[in-house]
Amino acid sequence: MSTTVTGRTQEPTPVKREPDRPPSVPTWRRKARPYLLSIPAVLIIAGILYPFILGSYYSVLNYSAINPLPSFVGFDNFSRVLSDSRFWGSVRVTLVYAVVATTVEMVLGIGIALLLNRASRIGKLFERVLILPLMVAPVIAGVIWGLMYNPQFGVINHIFGLGSTFNWLSTDMALWSVILVDVWIFTPFVAILVLAGIRSLPKEPFEASEVDGAGWFYMFRRLMLPMIWPYILVAVIFRFMDCLKIFDHVYVLTAGGPGAVTRTLQIGAYEDSIINLNYSQGSTYMFLLWVLVFITARYLVSVLGKAQRRAAGAEG
Amino acid sequence: MGIAGGSAALAPILSACGVGGGTTTDQENGAEEVSGGFDWRKAEGESIKILQTPHPYQQSFQPLLEEFTELTGIDVVAELVPEADYFTKLNTELAGGSGEHDVFMLGAYFVWTYGPPGWLEDLSPWLENSSATSDEYDFEDIYEGLRMATRWDFEKGSPLGSGGQWAIPWGFETNVVAYNKAEFDRRGIKPAETFDDFMQLAIDLTDRSENRYGVTFRGSRSWATIHPGFMSQFSREGAVDYEVNGTELVAAMNSETAVDFTKKWVELAKEAGPTSWTTYEYPDCTRDLGNGTAMMCYDADSATYPQNKPGASQEAGNLAWHPGPAGPDGNYATNLWTWSLAMNAASQKKLAAWLFIQWATGKEAMSDAVREGAFADPTRQSVFDGAFKETLGDFPGYLETFETVIDSTSIQFTPQSRFFETTEDWAVALQDIYSGADAKSRLDDLAAASTDIVNS
Repeated sequence: MSTTVTGRTQEPTPVKREPDRPPSVPTWRRKARPYLLSIPAVLIIAGILYPFILGSYYSVLNYSAINPLPSFVGFDNFSRVLSDSRFWGSVRVTLVYAVVATTVEMVLGIGIALLLNRASRIGKLFERVLILPLMVAPVIAGVIWGLMYNPQFGVINHIFGLGSTFNWLSTDMALWSVILVDVWIFTPFVAILVLAGIRSLPKEPFEASEVDGAGWFYMFRRLMLPMIWPYILVAVIFRFMDCLKIFDHVYVLTAGGPGAVTRTLQIGAYEDSIINLNYSQGSTYMFLLWVLVFITARYLVSVLGKAQRRAAGAEG
Repeated sequence: MGIAGGSAALAPILSACGVGGGTTTDQENGAEEVSGGFDWRKAEGESIKILQTPHPYQQSFQPLLEEFTELTGIDVVAELVPEADYFTKLNTELAGGSGEHDVFMLGAYFVWTYGPPGWLEDLSPWLENSSATSDEYDFEDIYEGLRMATRWDFEKGSPLGSGGQWAIPWGFETNVVAYNKAEFDRRGIKPAETFDDFMQLAIDLTDRSENRYGVTFRGSRSWATIHPGFMSQFSREGAVDYEVNGTELVAAMNSETAVDFTKKWVELAKEAGPTSWTTYEYPDCTRDLGNGTAMMCYDADSATYPQNKPGASQEAGNLAWHPGPAGPDGNYATNLWTWSLAMNAASQKKLAAWLFIQWATGKEAMSDAVREGAFADPTRQSVFDGAFKETLGDFPGYLETFETVIDSTSIQFTPQSRFFETTEDWAVALQDIYSGADAKSRLDDLAAASTDIVNS
């Protein structure tokens, strides 16, 4: 602000300003605003909690189509399910599926990300192609792979010259074949996530190491891997949780068979709730699956937290 | 969480009025409210919703729905759901008791599960009420095995044919053998008359190096694997699923006859069946028959029928039908599947719904549907003898086969409300035996578990 000099120094007249006041809002609205703003969140939480609580409640009843007026049976459903060899078979199938699929996807995904990290035209083309499996719904992927696996006319037997007798969905092969479909769909997800991590890394440590004569594998093991470890763990958490809840393409390809070799926990829950209309037993399956997912998630998230702190230099 | 999680959670949640809220056992039967003379226009101006799955029966009727509207003044909104999801949707809707769809397609076995909770309207009072049912309807014209198939009293051990009429048969299928007649003629062979000959014939026709095999039948992990060819031949060989002991059912799929037959059936699948048998459902079977990969197909006659229509498949015009192997005593016991029309007990438009069911299962509309060209097995004898023979029944052996088995065609299962659970377990046992499990001990386990389940 400038002042005009007229022979004597004049103190600028202070401008008296009205203090900033919020627009006139009724008190009740000011008090209600936080509650109104939280309504969407509350609705979402209620939408999550209601089915969860209801499902948990059903698991202590004997509710089914043939018993539409159920009564409280305590932990009978849990004791029946936990003493059923089919349930433990499903637990085994689910865990094998989750561990194998996640491991293979991680190894392949990191490998692909490392290859794509080298800028080239082919690399850019692959980046675009890579995302295609993620755009296919798992149910559709199941149908596509079902046709490709068909021994009579499937392209896979034809390419590998396996004739019309090699069955990819036989008792010995079915679990590995459905895992292969999972790998096909979700390896790109891992690759893209890890690639994003690699590209966010600072260049200086790598340049310094290169000047010091460090080899590629040494730099990968000692520099890159520790720094992208949080990204890898995020991918592990996503994929492992998803695999524990796997249903879609497995059901399309095998419906849980032959016998029970691909009967995952989700398929067990579906059979009980939807096919057999035994809602309480299905809810029990779902509750037990939730416990498994919850415990695993808690563990993995705590590991991720440690890795992030370590990557940030907070922990040795 | 995927489809399963969502569905599993939804089923009970949809009965959201509380636990057991989906039951409609206290629903009043609507037939009592209809009085006066019969008139097709008694519910004029109403609109009903029907739930269907895409199927030749539904496709034949779709163009005729306008005729129904002209006749009755009732609008029909038809909703289609693919067969793979159809019963999931129906289960959840009925469990929810919403009454959204007034009429729906239903298989007979589903009456055993959907009936006891009170989800289905008993149609007997409607049939018996002359104010609601036209004199020309002639319910007895529907084949007896079919009328019995959808009538049950829900009492354990009680045979079909007593109790309420829970659905009206609309289209149906007998399970017989369709075969590649051109190939049979070229080789100078005929279909087998006994099961042992049938096995040998199927094995002789198999040449894996030529990607050709003898016989296709279902093998997927589903109750639907048991009910067509398997149950038909199982019954012809003299085996039964359960024996009735007072008010208890005792599983008998481990009897000597049953074990012997099961071993042969699985051996047949291994030696002369599709190499991915454990995933086979009926579209796979009919496809392989139609493209010349399978030489025979033991499944629903009306499912194989479309493959022989000009241009429908590679082998169109080359197919023929045979009743399949007779039992040791010459019997042709054949299991049936019927797509029926049922009324939702929670419907708010029961008269309009009944008029639709009555029209769709009546002589005139069914004859028109047959003339549309895809309604292979009408449920009425008069329609079969009339419109069907006039327009569709010229495929080799089709009529003869139908007439040979029709009197022995009925539901060969013992009715019980845990049908889907126990019959899927049965399919799983077949797959286990196919994968190398000992047939006797596996079927012993199955029988013990099934006895527990059905009596619990």
